[in-house]
This record gives sequence, structure tokens and C-alpha cells, in this order.
Amino acid sequence: MLEQSEKPVISVRKLRKVYVMGQERVIALRNINLDIARGEVCCIFGTSGSGKSTLLNQLAGLEKPTHGVVRIGGVPISSLNENELAAFRQKHIGFVFQSYNLLPELTAGENVAMPLMFKGIPYETRMLEAKKMLCRVGLKDRIQHFPSQMSGGQQQRVGIARAFITRPEVVFADEPTGNLDSKTTKEVMHMIRDFAKRFHQTIVLVSHDPEMTEYADRIITLIDGEIVSDVHNEVKPEIDAGIVME
Amino acid sequence: MRFSDILKMCLDSLRRRKGRTILTVLGVFIGCVSIIIMVSIGAGMKESQDQMIANMGDVTIIEVYSNGDSKLNDAAVESFRAITGVRAVMPKASLDGYSVEVSAGVNDRYHASWANVTGIDSSALEDMGYEILEGAYPQKGEVLVGQYFAYNFMDTIMPEGKNYVDRWVWDEETQSYSENTPDPFFNPLTTPVTLEMSSYEDQNADKYRQELKISGITKEDYGKGWETSEGVMMDIEDMRELLNKLNGTQNTKFDYSEIYVKAETIDDVVSVEEEIKNAGYNTYSMQSVREELAKQARQIELMLGGLGAISLLVAAIGITNTMTMSVSERTKEIGIMKALGCYVKDIRLLFLMEAGSIGLIGGVLGLLFSFLVSIGINLYSFGALGGGGITGEALLQAMFGGEGVARISVITPGLVLFALVFSLFVGVFSGYHPANKAVKVSALEAIRNE
Repeated sequence: MLEQSEKPVISVRKLRKVYVMGQERVIALRNINLDIARGEVCCIFGTSGSGKSTLLNQLAGLEKPTHGVVRIGGVPISSLNENELAAFRQKHIGFVFQSYNLLPELTAGENVAMPLMFKGIPYETRMLEAKKMLCRVGLKDRIQHFPSQMSGGQQQRVGIARAFITRPEVVFADEPTGNLDSKTTKEVMHMIRDFAKRFHQTIVLVSHDPEMTEYADRIITLIDGEIVSDVHNEVKPEIDAGIVME
Repeated sequence: MRFSDILKMCLDSLRRRKGRTILTVLGVFIGCVSIIIMVSIGAGMKESQDQMIANMGDVTIIEVYSNGDSKLNDAAVESFRAITGVRAVMPKASLDGYSVEVSAGVNDRYHASWANVTGIDSSALEDMGYEILEGAYPQKGEVLVGQYFAYNFMDTIMPEGKNYVDRWVWDEETQSYSENTPDPFFNPLTTPVTLEMSSYEDQNADKYRQELKISGITKEDYGKGWETSEGVMMDIEDMRELLNKLNGTQNTKFDYSEIYVKAETIDDVVSVEEEIKNAGYNTYSMQSVREELAKQARQIELMLGGLGAISLLVAAIGITNTMTMSVSERTKEIGIMKALGCYVKDIRLLFLMEAGSIGLIGGVLGLLFSFLVSIGINLYSFGALGGGGITGEALLQAMFGGEGVARISVITPGLVLFALVFSLFVGVFSGYHPANKAVKVSALEAIRNE
């Protein structure tokens, strides 16, 4: 387990990312310092080109920073090797993607169980767990369906079930509703908040959509690779209606 | 990841790209069939060679000749006997320089105008492995005759054309010499046989006649000498006495014409032969012939296998191509797996396994098909497909060979194992580069939206 204290789950110090494209150097992140507390639903907001996606990549360890350090639960993930990163992701990190990213040859159940498969958990055990998760997202009848047989909203719910199945400390969501209509967006965001609050998990949400900020406890705005505002947001009570802390 | 999960993913993925998988497998299939059939034909050559040599007689016998300087005498016999790995030594003397005729029957009714009389050491017969078909090993003063000795005789009473028994009867039905040879005119064991000898130097002198006491008939064995087929084998001491009488002297001297040395086992032949050669003799053995032939067969096998290997090489390139394409198509998938915590080694294993499966499936199918082709070739060579009909026996012989059957194509267990291991290896080897490419795919691919 990661540290349970009041220390931030994610801590970023002097983070800098520079892309070299031919002769040109593009500074994507200038100097980011950031702490995210456990249980926070945090939205990184910014227009395209603001560096928000780059920040997400650094936070989730998908890319190495040019300079600085990212710690999750005290572990400097920016300096882990590929093998350590894989093990770390299995235990502590979940992902919700904009384009759902389900594997087309696997059923909904198998897709949800995939992170458990990477951990080496036997088929029956992990499918049982996947079934429970699919029940939670309201897709209990869809366990045998393939992604191609489901709507976008359903696919994203499968994606959410997959992100939360390992009970990770941090779930990264990259424009999770980018491909969804407004009604489905509400359902999906409610679901993500529901999981986070029930199990006291941290959500890092990346979006360019101002509406999305409504679902976050904290809004961090990025412009040109720098944090320009970092504010607390009181989520409207109707959004969290029906959420019970477990 | 568990091995079973990787295997399932691997097979799922091959199934999903069915058309491409089948085509790539087909490449390996063709490569495998061509290698197996080519090598099996090489192995078939070896089988017929071995059969040919087995028909030629005892392979543990080394024939020793003088190289011109070395003497083939009793001292040489003793020295050969002392070599480790030698079972028996058989000196042989010939009646060179004498005309030998044989008569048999009442009033010399049957007559052979020529006979091969060989002096032997009758005490070594049993150890040398001379087989007696009828009768017994000879005592002092007795002789052995070859299996077909009696066929050399002509019946002096019968007219031309009917005075001779031909033991080679051509059977039109089986297109081979019949196994039912007709009986000769007489049985040498029960008929009086007389040797008639004279020296070439003194053609006009009276022939020296001596009755032969025949104790037994030997089984024909070319490895031990032609005399076991048609000649007379007489103990060397008896021969010396005979020559003494013929020449009117007391001690006729002669060297042996050759000495046969029998090794304990086939494996001893090479070392024994080497030692005899080093002592200054010329030698000849089936083993050395066999090795020479085997060497040639191996060369041909390698050459044929090399030809087949070219098509497998092409198949290997096909696998690499297919797998590289597969990796390119699946970069997103690989990225997702990595982002969700899949170990790099599992990804590598997954792709190696896909490539290996293509190789192995092609290998197994190729092997099965090769068996069919091989059986077909063999049946054809037996003449079974021509009209003889495919009998159960012919089918079994085409598959597993048999006594006296020379197959054109022989698929040995070693070849089966080689084909399977090699096709798997070709698959894995071809998948190595694509798998490394897959491993290098970044987890970032997962969030790249196109």
C-alpha cells in the first residue's frame, strides 16, 4: 500500500518537458509544481496546446520528463524503468481513455478483467471480479458482448469498470466524455465521481471542456505549459446525489 | 501474465487475421514439405544402400591381402588373432596353377569342368560364422561344399540343352528370379564326388583323382567368399597333403592367398582394419564401403535438404513480414496493454508465440502432408499404383519399410523431430525482430487519438 497519511498522493516538483522537433525546441511544460491530495477529483483544464495532455503523460508515467520529478504515493515514477512502471501501474494506476480503448477481440468482461490478467490472476477469479464491476456500471447483461456490439456510452462504462477493477489509488481520465453526448456525459461523470468517493480514490481528469470542470473538486488551468489558476470548486449537490461513502 | 492467457491471446489474434495467417502458414507448409521430401529421398538412398550391403554378406569381416611385400603366412595369422576386437581369423589358400575338375555320380555321370577349391582353417569355421545348411562341420580329411555346388555339373548322358539345371528361373509374374529353384541333379552329401587335378605346367600328365568326403553344405555368404556358394572348402593341411601327393614331394610350400579377419562387432571393424593396414597389408571390408557410401548419401541428403531449405527461408521472410504488419496494426493495442500494466516480457512472448505458432502449425501440416506424399512415392515405386493394387501390406511397407523393401522416400523419426523443431525455430526466429518492435511501442500510443 501507498502511504495513508495526509501527504499528497501525487506530488510534482519543478516539472519541465521540452520536445525537440528537428531544429525547433517546443517547451510543453515550463515549471510545474503541484500536489494532489488523496480522494480529490481534480480537473486539469486547458485549451488544445496548453500542455495539459503532456502533463497527464508525465503524471501517469507514460513519458519521461525533461527535468523534475513526479511522485505518486512517494514513489518517483519518473525514474522507474519499464518493468517497474508496469508493476506500478498494475497496482496503483487506472486509465479511462477518450476513445475507450477496449480491445476488439475481447468481450466486455475480458476487457474489464484485463488489468487482472496482466497481474497473473486466474481466469475464473478475474472474470468474477469483472462481473461485479460490470454490475456496478449497469452492464451486467453485457459481459459476453464485444465492444463492436455496444454503444459509445456503454463502451466507456466498460472502460470505467476496467480502470477501477484493481482499486487503484489514482485514476487518470483523458477527455473521458470527449466522444459522448451530454446525457451520457452526465452518467459517465457521475459514475466516475461515485467510484472515487466510495473508495476514496484520486481522479485526475484532463479536459478542454468547461462543462467538465463542474464535476471536479479542484480546477487547475494550464496555459502555455504553466499553471495559471488552481481553484477549489464546490460540486453542485445534485451531481453527487445518491453517492454513498463506503 | 499466465502462460495460458498469453496462448489464448495469441490464438485469438491469429484467428482474427485468418486469411493472412493461413497464407503465411501455407508458406511454411510448402517449405516444410519440400525439406522433408528432399531429405526423405536422401534417407531412402541410405536405406537401399544398407540393404544392398546387408545382401552382400557379413559386414564384420575384413579381407586382408598382401601389399606385395608383406607375407600372408601363419605368423601373420597369429598376429591378427592377437589384435583386440578380433573374433576369428580364417586364412585361405587357393589352388592357383592347377586345373581342377570334378566328377560325381555313378561312372562319373556328372561332370564340372571347373571348380573353385579353397583351402581354409576348418577349426575356425564356427567362429567365423560359416553356416551349415545340411550335414556337419568337417573332420580331418573331410570337406565342405557351397550351397549351389551341385548346379555346376553337367549331365554327360543328356543331350545339349537338357544337360544342365539352371537355378535362375525368371518368374514373369513377379518380374524377378523365382524363389523356387529346381533341384540339382544330385545331392552332394549322398553322391560320390571326385576331384580331378592336374598342374597347368604339365597338361598331358594323368589327372590326379581323389574322392571328396563331403561333410556338409555351407550357406551362401559373399562376405566369406564365393566358395560358400559354388566351391569346395578343404582344410589347409588336407590341401597340403593333396598337393604333396600330386607333386610327389613331402612339403609343398604356399602362402595364403588372403586372410579373412572377423571382428567382434561392427564397431570394432574400423580399429581392427586400421591396425592391420598399419602392419603393411591391404584390406577391404564392407564397413569401409559402407562408410564411403554413407558419406555420399549424406552429401546428397544435405544438398537436397539445402534446396528445400530455400523455400523455408522464403517462408521465414513471409512470417517476418506478416508479424511486422501485425505489430504496425496493433500499436494502439500494445500501447493500451502497456498503459494498463502489461509487462514488456509478456508482450514479447505474445508476439514470439504468434510467430512460433505460424511456424509450428505449418510444420505439423507440412509433416502430415509429407507422410502422404512419401507413401504415394513409395507405393508408386513398388508398382502398386500402376495396377498392382494397393494392398494393406504394400501400404505398411510404404510407411515403415520392411524386409527386403527399398523405399525411395524414408521419413525417419529424427526427420520428424527435426521438421517440428526447425519449423518452430524458424517461426520464433522470424518473429524476433517484429516482437522487439512491439516491445518498443510506447504506452503513449494508448492516448494518441487519430
